[in-house]
Amino acid sequence: MTVITLDKLGAGISGKIKKVGGEGAIRRRLLDMGLTNGASIEMIRTSPLGDPVEYQVRGYRLSLRKSEAKAIEVEII
Amino acid sequence: MTKTIALAGNPNVGKSSLFNELTGSQQHVGNWPGKTVEKKEGRLQIGEEVVLVVDLPGTYSLTAYSIEEIIARDFIVNENPTAVVAVVDASNLERNLYFVAQLIELDRPVIIALNMTDIAKNRGLTISPDVLSERMGGIPVVETVGNRALGLDPLKEVISRVINQPHIGKIQTNFSGIIKKEIVQLRKLAETQDQVVDQFHPEWLATKLLENDPGVLETLKSLAADDLLLAASQARQRIEDQTGDEAEILIADQRYQFVAQVIDSVVDRPLKPIQTRSDKIDGIITHRIWGLPIFFLTMWIVFQFTANVSAPFLDWVDIFINEFIYEWAGNLLNLLGLEGSWFRSMITDGIIAGVGGVLVFVPVLLFLYLALAILEDSGYMSRAAFVMDRVMRWMGLHGKSFLPMIIGFGCTVPAVYATRTLEHEKDRKLTGFLATFMSCGARLPVYVVFGSAFFGAFSGNLVFAMYVLGIVVALITGFVMKNTVYRGQPPAPFVMELPPYRIPRPKDVWRQMWERTRGFLIKSGTVILGISVALWLLMAVPAHPDVGAFSAVDAEDSLFGRISGIVSPIFKPAGFGSWQATGSLITGFLAKEVVIGTMNQIYADQIPANSGPAPSFGKDLAEAGLGFGRAGVLTVQETINIIPRTINLVPFLNLGQINFFSEEMEVDDTTRLEESLINAYAISAGSKEAGSIAAVAFNVFVLLYVPCVSAVTAMRQEFGARWMWAQIVYTLILAWAAAVVVFQVGKLFLL
Repeated sequence: MTVITLDKLGAGISGKIKKVGGEGAIRRRLLDMGLTNGASIEMIRTSPLGDPVEYQVRGYRLSLRKSEAKAIEVEII
Repeated sequence: MTKTIALAGNPNVGKSSLFNELTGSQQHVGNWPGKTVEKKEGRLQIGEEVVLVVDLPGTYSLTAYSIEEIIARDFIVNENPTAVVAVVDASNLERNLYFVAQLIELDRPVIIALNMTDIAKNRGLTISPDVLSERMGGIPVVETVGNRALGLDPLKEVISRVINQPHIGKIQTNFSGIIKKEIVQLRKLAETQDQVVDQFHPEWLATKLLENDPGVLETLKSLAADDLLLAASQARQRIEDQTGDEAEILIADQRYQFVAQVIDSVVDRPLKPIQTRSDKIDGIITHRIWGLPIFFLTMWIVFQFTANVSAPFLDWVDIFINEFIYEWAGNLLNLLGLEGSWFRSMITDGIIAGVGGVLVFVPVLLFLYLALAILEDSGYMSRAAFVMDRVMRWMGLHGKSFLPMIIGFGCTVPAVYATRTLEHEKDRKLTGFLATFMSCGARLPVYVVFGSAFFGAFSGNLVFAMYVLGIVVALITGFVMKNTVYRGQPPAPFVMELPPYRIPRPKDVWRQMWERTRGFLIKSGTVILGISVALWLLMAVPAHPDVGAFSAVDAEDSLFGRISGIVSPIFKPAGFGSWQATGSLITGFLAKEVVIGTMNQIYADQIPANSGPAPSFGKDLAEAGLGFGRAGVLTVQETINIIPRTINLVPFLNLGQINFFSEEMEVDDTTRLEESLINAYAISAGSKEAGSIAAVAFNVFVLLYVPCVSAVTAMRQEFGARWMWAQIVYTLILAWAAAVVVFQVGKLFLL
């Protein structure tokens, strides 16, 4: 059971969200978009310029910057 | 009293389409009072009854972090609509129901319009509306496919039933454990205070207090409900002590848990998610290697489309208004015995020439807005933001800033308003500031006219160069500001949905095209008409009694000519120090498309009268009709020619382009204005070749100098007067310097 930050997740790998860090508007937005504890999330691909990153979460596609993904801890399934 | 229903939902769920289907043509587009977010209202007829439908801004949540969320939530809390129709994307049920759960907490009757069930089906999802209704506390659920008007009648029936006997679906709010306990306690405390109960539903208030909602906290402070605020902060502390997490996180968790349970019993999912066509397309469009070339190719095609494809109709409208209407309106006035009078001059040289010069470019705008609507509705726009975020961040911006920037290519005014989608003030200001360098639709006519006058077949190159230059200037300005004005500030959050690709619906595309172009027309009908007449007046008044009488004076000797003449030496180093060029730039501040309108008026004096056999009205009309048909054929030709032209971008490839008409018919494309321009610039710059460089310098100035008065007004409203003045001063200096550099360096290298 390894816990890493979301930005370290490789393409095609899924994880379960353990903790959403950060605060204020950013954290609220992450929560509203469905990044809550226990949600599973898969890394799809990075943008052509390496950042941001596209994820699949709760049945839809979401893109986050690596700096934002860093605030989220995931457990690799 | 008319009953009101509100349409609410996430962005990209087909809410606008449904709104259009429900209200048809009976709609009104305006702004929310005191806000610049668009408000759409319409009337829905169900049998005898007329219902007012309000389209709320699309949001993911009902917190108070963005202006759209505040508008949507305040409308439901304060205006008490009879019912709220929650438009839900069936293929993305989890996040959508999270929003619906928040709507229900607001304690209004809710109807779920289950939209996009076709997409859900493609993903192998089977959804049971009846079970969904039951699990969401008995609120009605209607399947609407969205893209086809299916399910519209059942929806109308349900709306009619609900508004006539409002029944509030009481879902057992999904909270549990300590959260539920604290909500109950806070609710009880809130219920004891009348002034609080007047404003808020107590249970909703209790939830928002635990969430530490900034909007609600502020209102309570203004009501001096100190005991409630204190109790709330103690409750939050207790929750954190006991669970180790903040209440806000737990509440979001519990809502999503509730939604997940609902979905388990409502949706049948395939064991392994089906790879849809949208996913496959996405794999190519945001591909590591192909992503960027596809992005630039898309932009290139959009420019080809707006510049070349619209050209035949542009030419036709030009001839129709500036020759046919101009001439025959003049003849009509002569018949009425007004020949040579100032009134005839005002009608033909003032109103018809001025407004005509603007209307000429309606085809360009229609094609541009068509391209923008397709980009937006297909889902490509957010991919462009995904691909470009890294670049935007280099300027200290958000990938989403890309959207206002793209809209800036259409018009700076909506671009400034579109910055509202950004959450941070810094992002909004900077995006609005830089969006003015995105060459707007009103600047395009200037490049097109100059391009075809000075560069003929290569006019597209001038247009493309201007667009690229605008982007480069924005990049540099952004980078400099990031490292000076905004030094040391943290970047704003990104977090953006990538909606599935969809084939844009012609009806919606048409509506967007029409609404935006209509906005332009209304502007040209009021502001620009006023400007045209004022200008005609300035040009009719002689600067000195000796040089002529009212309405019988050379443009150069008029008041306008003299004023422009005084300013013009400033532009000498840029090669266009003539009073005509200066004059058109002055009026261009009022609206950039007027630059061409003014030139039309100024040069009208110098344009030789048509010679040849006396034309007849019938023959002229027939010719105009024929010309319209020809323009249609040429449009098809130019659309097809985008393909060889794009392929020819690859070195060593050279595909032929089709040509439906023989060459000699094409030759005389240069309008009367264009001939006058070539002569005038040759004179002010010193030679014919220098004139071409001066023309480029002039276009650079038009690109960069102060955006039009409407855009400046929008900026003042959004970002304040100080910001507006900074913008005016910066752009004037920058535009002048850039034009001078272009002319001087160009002369050095090319002559």
